[in-house]
Amino acid sequence: MLTIGPLAFALPWMLVALAILPVIWWLLQVTPPAPRRIIFPAIRLLFGLAAREETLARTPWWLMLLRLFLAALIIVALARPLINPGARLAGDGTLLFVVDNGWSAGGNWADRSEMLATLIEQAERTDRIVAVMTTAALAEGGPIEVSNLMPARDARQLIEKIVPVPWPIDRAAALAALKDVALPGPVESIWLSDGLINDGSAAATKDLAETLMRLGPASIILDEAVNRAKLLPPPDTTGAVLTATVHLPLAALAETEVTVRAITESGQVLARAPAQFEAGTVSATAEFDLPSEARNKIVRLEIEGEGTAGAVVLLDERWRRRPVGLVSGGSLEQAQPLLSDTYYLGRALEPTAALHTGNLDDLIDAGLAVLILADVGQVVISDRDALTDWMDRGGVLVRFAGPKLAESDGDLLPVELRRGTRGLSGALTWTVPLRLGAFGEESPFFGLDVPDDVLVSRQILAEPALDLNDRTWARLADGTPLVTAQRKGQGWLVMFHVTATPAWSNLPLSGLFVEMMQRVVALSQGVSGARESEAIPPLRLLDGFGQLGAPGPGARPAPPEIFDDAKVGPGHAPGFYGQTESRRALNLSAGLEPPRLLDDVIGNMRREAYGTSAEFNLLPWLLVAAMITVMIDILAGMILAGQLRRSVGSVASIALALFIFTAIDRGANAQGSAQGNDSFALDATLDTRLAYAITGDPAIDEMSRAGLTGLSQMLTLRTAIEPALPMAVNVETDELAFFALIYWPIDPGQVDLSPEALAKIDAYMKNGGTILFDTRDQQYVQTSPTGRQSLTSANGPGAMRLREILAGLDIPPLVPVPSDHVLTKAFYLLTDFPGRWDGGTLWVQRHAGGSNDGVSSIIIGANDFAAAWALDETGRAIAAVVPGGANQREMAFRFGINLMMYAHTGNYKADQVHIPAILERLGQ
Amino acid sequence: MSPSAHDALSNSANKPAGKSADHEGGQMRHRAEQVAAALPPLLIAAQRVAASVAPGIHGRRRVGTGETFWQFRRYVQGDPANRIDWRQSGKTQGVFVRETEWEAAQSVWLWRDLSPSMAYRSTLSDETKQDRTSLLLLALASILVRGGEHIALLGEDRIARAGRTALDRMTLSMIREDDRTSDPSLPPQVRLPRYGHLVLMSDFLSPFEDIERVVRHYAAMGVSGHLLQVLDPAEETLPFSGRIRFEGLEGEGDYLATRAERLRASYEARLDALRKSLTDLCAAVGWTFGHHRTDVSPQTALLALYSSFSETIL
Repeated sequence: MLTIGPLAFALPWMLVALAILPVIWWLLQVTPPAPRRIIFPAIRLLFGLAAREETLARTPWWLMLLRLFLAALIIVALARPLINPGARLAGDGTLLFVVDNGWSAGGNWADRSEMLATLIEQAERTDRIVAVMTTAALAEGGPIEVSNLMPARDARQLIEKIVPVPWPIDRAAALAALKDVALPGPVESIWLSDGLINDGSAAATKDLAETLMRLGPASIILDEAVNRAKLLPPPDTTGAVLTATVHLPLAALAETEVTVRAITESGQVLARAPAQFEAGTVSATAEFDLPSEARNKIVRLEIEGEGTAGAVVLLDERWRRRPVGLVSGGSLEQAQPLLSDTYYLGRALEPTAALHTGNLDDLIDAGLAVLILADVGQVVISDRDALTDWMDRGGVLVRFAGPKLAESDGDLLPVELRRGTRGLSGALTWTVPLRLGAFGEESPFFGLDVPDDVLVSRQILAEPALDLNDRTWARLADGTPLVTAQRKGQGWLVMFHVTATPAWSNLPLSGLFVEMMQRVVALSQGVSGARESEAIPPLRLLDGFGQLGAPGPGARPAPPEIFDDAKVGPGHAPGFYGQTESRRALNLSAGLEPPRLLDDVIGNMRREAYGTSAEFNLLPWLLVAAMITVMIDILAGMILAGQLRRSVGSVASIALALFIFTAIDRGANAQGSAQGNDSFALDATLDTRLAYAITGDPAIDEMSRAGLTGLSQMLTLRTAIEPALPMAVNVETDELAFFALIYWPIDPGQVDLSPEALAKIDAYMKNGGTILFDTRDQQYVQTSPTGRQSLTSANGPGAMRLREILAGLDIPPLVPVPSDHVLTKAFYLLTDFPGRWDGGTLWVQRHAGGSNDGVSSIIIGANDFAAAWALDETGRAIAAVVPGGANQREMAFRFGINLMMYAHTGNYKADQVHIPAILERLGQ
Repeated sequence: MSPSAHDALSNSANKPAGKSADHEGGQMRHRAEQVAAALPPLLIAAQRVAASVAPGIHGRRRVGTGETFWQFRRYVQGDPANRIDWRQSGKTQGVFVRETEWEAAQSVWLWRDLSPSMAYRSTLSDETKQDRTSLLLLALASILVRGGEHIALLGEDRIARAGRTALDRMTLSMIREDDRTSDPSLPPQVRLPRYGHLVLMSDFLSPFEDIERVVRHYAAMGVSGHLLQVLDPAEETLPFSGRIRFEGLEGEGDYLATRAERLRASYEARLDALRKSLTDLCAAVGWTFGHHRTDVSPQTALLALYSSFSETIL
């Protein structure tokens, strides 16, 4: 190997080939590029033009340089150049790899495997004999042992199979295995360590290091201290919030933050909580403050970015919030909550449990973990049997005393009770309310502070019995039992000898009550998480990277005691065991002590770090560069031969043109439509405007525009409506909602509306818009011989087309305008509604009634109104009216004004305002 | 660049294959007559009077055989009796003989180059030189026939004929000839009647001495003539660039150009020199010379031919 600075050549003799570069130069110089062949009849004229030109037929110097560069690239690549060649393997004896592949290796496994690959490649280059030992047992469950001596090439396959396992390493076993084999000669050993120890393994680690150093040159490879594996023990669920503790192997140097994630069954991240480490601390907590429902969805907590089995905690039923049922014997809940039995219980349990209230019957079968009966006297027999059965399966029944219980027969009680109560304070007693005594060690309440101000003034007394003492969890200061309990199957029956209200004591008002209730609830396993006695089969197991997966071939059913002391090891990987609906979690971290750094115990072993100065093989990159150079050369050759000029030029120009065209086009489109929408909305809303629907026929559209312009002028002259210029509306594309009324002339040639447009029109009419359809075909209409008016039998071309257009719409029932319709009196008093033609019937909605302020959402006429309203610039009418006369045009304008008043103001003219005037006129 | 485009730029032989001869001939004839329709019938200016010239419709402004009335003259001894115009004689004193104007037709011999080089077409043009030449030749023949002249294919026909049938015959023999691709690039040197006309259409890329020999041969016979050089635009402009091996079509050998684009100027100079010497040659023997590119309309060439034939008469 030839080394130049950071660059080294594995096959340096190949570089000798660089000497042939001048030969290549010479060869290239004498070989011009191959010409194109072209048949040319006038070749005779070319003869003799030649000689002067031929001297130029040289390969240009830059092309030569390119080709020489190519040759050099290939030669250098063949010499196998390496950047940062690993010089770790100095000697030439046996090489021993010790690999820590326990749970803590998963987080940084990429670096480890890369390091292993680099090392084994070096070993291969120098033909070393290699042995490999992993310090954690493999998944198949074989013992920890040193592999056979083998050439590096074979060892590579073995090493590529090493993966991190989700259980701890066993350095003591590794040490024993190492002592069992006799390795020949000086053994160079490399220990790819996880850099962690704990109290149990410190001594074995020290021995292992010393043994390795005795065998020969030994080096240990370590992660940076801050990158070594963190540990996440199972969270604490007793409090109101879920508290997860994170342990670092090294006291935090500065304030740092580690994020813990809560993940649901579906893999969704439900919450992230930071664990804030003060400088100098090794553990910190992350708190998840979640509602019960959300919290019960958490199946997995993990330290973000760790990727080890130790940074994952799987949660099963035991960490869930217990479903707690509350049953009250009283009936005051609704009226006076502060006197209610369940109010204080509810307040105490709410933060830590999922509460259910209801009848006893309803709650027994609800799968509760804890059931609290507050002053329920007699329990009916069927319920009692059900409750007993439920307690046998793990339920916790908590009863509170009260007046009713005091008078009941007393079954379902942990101890025999005396009838009646003991009053400790009152007008006729000498005694004073008593304080609570300290909790005994066997009591689940042990350790809770007893405040001085909790006083009990009345209680139910237990009959003295031999086992009364054993069943007592809490006493008063004078020794009388306050809380008694009895084991029932796998569950508990707990009795509070006071009420759950402040009536008998102020215990329910104290913080102690909350803590006591939490302890009681924590007793429960949850009925569905009941214990099993036989071994539980694995369901889904964690791998060495903290990922859940199907159990591998080495996974075995776990006996129940494994879950108690969390003995994770080969065959019993952490993960979920049991059935999907009642599974149990086995957590690696539950049985692990917080790890420490190993640096102190390995003495003066040579240390290195992962991930530094990895060897970098330049061969593929040089070959890629050579490939690119070849392409450039081909391209250059084609250009020189003139083959490419036209095609490159044309392709490039076409591509450029296309690009520019599409870019401009797209930009213009986007701009156009965006601006169009906005400007349309602004135009339509900044002023009141009349609107007409575009038919597509320019003549009709122009007439609509002129007609509405004329009507706008008349409205401005005569009324308070002062519309701006009318707007054209495309019902297919434009928003209709801005207009109170849309004038829609029907063109027999009009195209059908799209379903979207129909939906839009429907919504417009339903939401208060009015459309005036003008079939403009009054001149064609034959009066029906019966004289009967019917829109469905209207036979004008516009009416027929209108029927087709509206076929897809929800059209309300229509009637000819009644004589008392608002349209007849909205501004002017009108009896008929002429347009350009006279006599057509005007149809409106029959029961405009309640919705839309009584305004008909649809008005259909046939008189070509716009033509009658149309005025040119000088104010003269554009179209003649038939049969004619200024009176008809005036009436047409009056109808237009009435119509706009009607559409804009609604039905207020329907009231009686005009009645006197109308009566007066009628009288005349 | 795709191979097909490459071939098309450089290549030649785009001979229509597999078409029936009749159809092809009809098409060519049709096109030629379309082209010729724009011009009036061509009456070749006869400069010389020769008894050998077959009768045609050129008014010779003298008495002779013909159809047009020329003059009445007194009967003289020796006139055949059937020449006497009895009506005229009856109207006046004496006996008159009716004389007609002498009308004579010119015979025009046409020839086109059928050598392999004529089957060349570059991408700059739509048809081969040969197709264009055939078109021009037929169009010219059509005009001539309409003018009553006699036409013949040089080397094919032994006598010149007039009328539509002559055109038909010529079309057919041209179709036959089209299959011959290895003809020499220059016309055969045969005997032609004196005072005939000769039209040679070719690319005239043969050695100049050969061309000169042919021209002088016919000029010595008293034949007047016209040379039309038909070239592909690629031959005129040399639009190639890069390193190219040019190959001839008639076994001239090949030529390697390292930078074809650099040859352009000197090539064009050469072509101009060739044309100049051809023009000079023609001028020396009283012939005319024209040149034509296959990418311009055939009418221009036809118009030039027309005017060069009729200039003396107009």
